[in-house]
Amino acid sequence: MVRSRFDSQLDQLNVEMIKMGALCEEAITASMKALLENDDMAALIVFEKDSEIDRKEKEIEALCMRLLLQQQPVAKDLRMISSALKMISDMERIGDQAADIAEITAFIKDNETKRKLHIREMATAAVKMVTESVDSFVRKDLELAKSVMAYDDVLDNLFTEVKQELIDLISKDQANGEFCLDLLMISKYLERIGDHATNIAEWVEYSITGYHVKMDLEVGKK
Amino acid sequence: MTKRIFRAIFGLAMVMMLAVIGLVMGMMNDYFSAEQHEELRSQAIYVGAGIESMGVGYLQQMKNPSDRITWIDEDGVVLFDSKANPAKMDNHKEREEVVDAFKKGEGFSERYSTTLSEKTVNYAVKLDNGTVIRISTVTTSPITLFFTMTQPLAIILAAAILISVFLSFRTAKNITKPINDIDLEHPELAVVYDELTPLLRRIAVQNKQLHKQMRELKRQKQEFDTITSNMQEGILVLDSQGDVLSYNMGALQLMELEVPKGLVSVFELNRGEGFRRCVESALAGSHREENIQLGGKVCQLFANPVHQEDILAGAILVLFDVTEREERDKLRREFTANVSHELKTPLTSISGFAEIMKNGMVHGEDVPRFAAKIYDEAQRLIQMVQDIIKLSKLDEKQIALEKEVVNLESLVQETVRRLDPIAESKGVTIWVNTEPATLVGVYQVLQEVIYNLCENAIRYNVDNGKVNVSLENKEKHIVITVSDTGMGIAKANQSRVFERFYRVNESRSKETEGTGLGLSIVKHGAMVHNAKINLTSELNKGTKITLSFPK
Repeated sequence: MVRSRFDSQLDQLNVEMIKMGALCEEAITASMKALLENDDMAALIVFEKDSEIDRKEKEIEALCMRLLLQQQPVAKDLRMISSALKMISDMERIGDQAADIAEITAFIKDNETKRKLHIREMATAAVKMVTESVDSFVRKDLELAKSVMAYDDVLDNLFTEVKQELIDLISKDQANGEFCLDLLMISKYLERIGDHATNIAEWVEYSITGYHVKMDLEVGKK
Repeated sequence: MTKRIFRAIFGLAMVMMLAVIGLVMGMMNDYFSAEQHEELRSQAIYVGAGIESMGVGYLQQMKNPSDRITWIDEDGVVLFDSKANPAKMDNHKEREEVVDAFKKGEGFSERYSTTLSEKTVNYAVKLDNGTVIRISTVTTSPITLFFTMTQPLAIILAAAILISVFLSFRTAKNITKPINDIDLEHPELAVVYDELTPLLRRIAVQNKQLHKQMRELKRQKQEFDTITSNMQEGILVLDSQGDVLSYNMGALQLMELEVPKGLVSVFELNRGEGFRRCVESALAGSHREENIQLGGKVCQLFANPVHQEDILAGAILVLFDVTEREERDKLRREFTANVSHELKTPLTSISGFAEIMKNGMVHGEDVPRFAAKIYDEAQRLIQMVQDIIKLSKLDEKQIALEKEVVNLESLVQETVRRLDPIAESKGVTIWVNTEPATLVGVYQVLQEVIYNLCENAIRYNVDNGKVNVSLENKEKHIVITVSDTGMGIAKANQSRVFERFYRVNESRSKETEGTGLGLSIVKHGAMVHNAKINLTSELNKGTKITLSFPK
């Protein structure tokens, strides 16, 4: 079977995106392992993944530019490439935030209170959102993308809950202050990761239908 | 082909037409100038005769002759000219036609005007008196003639082109039609030019070969599909880009996937870390194997590069479900760890007591007490080793061969009697309620099962508690129920009590002796006899275990 160069480059873009998505999943899963299981090795893995994600971003960006300049794609292909360009920056942020979380975990290693808060639920929700947003891209699954966008509310509610728990902790004993602030940062990062996953899902929707929720873009929609 | 034939015919027609036009025009031109010469000649002879008889007066009385008449004497001096004053004309002796006339008696020449549009034809003849008479006439040149004919020529040419286009197109069509009409599936049936017959015969032979090869290939593919689709192991074949060329059902089942649509990248099927590493390494040309997590399963993934004539053509991935093996390994590791721990505890006590005695720190009267402790621990150790041996025998299923008819009623009563002393020491009352029942099974194993059930019921009972043992012979099953009024088992632990060395009380306290292997032996014994175990228990109220043997 002979495929045009353009098609094979598009396929390559697809594969690279999947790999970058997988790296994001691994980074955030490892950062949660570092946080909840006090696993130092996991924290190191997160940093490694983060720099690999950065590398992948550069690679995909170059590939997208090459495609745009040399092939001048139109319609669906153009949407696929432009949404890929947007998605990689969200993915890159997810990698950064996973690394930020891994950095903080070293300071709150010995405090076991963290297990009693709703941080674990937040982490599970964030990992689920990232995994499903990447899945929706891989399978071009509009329904799944929409469910990811809807799931962001769950994560936001959990964030409010954790915030309340931290407030209660500080009011009980001010010595908890530093620890609580660290945890607040982590939960904020998790909440942001959820937002990035939502963005990815929105770009998946855009690349499939040509419609983007936030920008009300109607490019390519008849 | 039609185009080529058309072009050839059309080109030929054009060339022929132009050639014919050119030739005809040339011939006509020649004919007309010959006529003209003849006319001039006869005119010159006529004029010459006139001069000879009448002199110059003949010439002068000719009013405006259509052609120019010039009379030249033997020295070339012009004596008369009908169009110009002879005095002003130069000597004509060197004119081509005049020279010829002096020499041969007559001369002829043609001169073109500077624009080439006109042609002057001169004819000179020598008279008897030595003078020369010359007649000149001006005609249009062949080029002018050609240009004046351009329009009719163009019309004729256009018509001819149209006709030849039409005809040559039809001819070309007619030639190629039978070739186009050949049915390539059955070339031998076609009736066409003889020249093509060998070619068609060749195609027919090759058709047959192709069909045969296709059938062979199809058969091979079917064979391959049948083999792979019935395999439990997953197989994925990738091309060098990592796109999935082929897969079997096993792969889809193991990876929990639906049938992929069209050509997809393998990373769309799975993007796990280990999976990616294996695929990338295989596509880079080196073998790799890893255990990867797929859903709830553990799979061993072999990734092999495929080379075709030293060029990497793709990769083959093979997946084995090793979940059970991994679990068995895990259980074995846990078991070994537990055995070591359980064996170490009594040995440490024995060694401790023995050390104190060795160092002479024990008074004579205390020796029996220490010796008793050492004895107890050693007994416990022996018991445990015996239990382990029993369990491993059950694991190996060697006993399955020694099945016999067992009288369960007497077995239950006998076993309970053996336990009486322990029950008495704890103040536990045992109530036995049996019906006559026989079962094909292994006597020793059944005895162990019942003994362990009852022993547990006594050991984990409260002081002065009760134990109920019943044997019912039902229609399809023989049911043994042992219930106690003891401490019970919490819900969370109920599923784990049948594991080896699992003790509900984590401190493995010595308060209640036991090896932690009792219920494990019950479970394996029940498995040997295909019996079902049912456990209901409530914390601090009691436990009821039912064994139901199929008849």
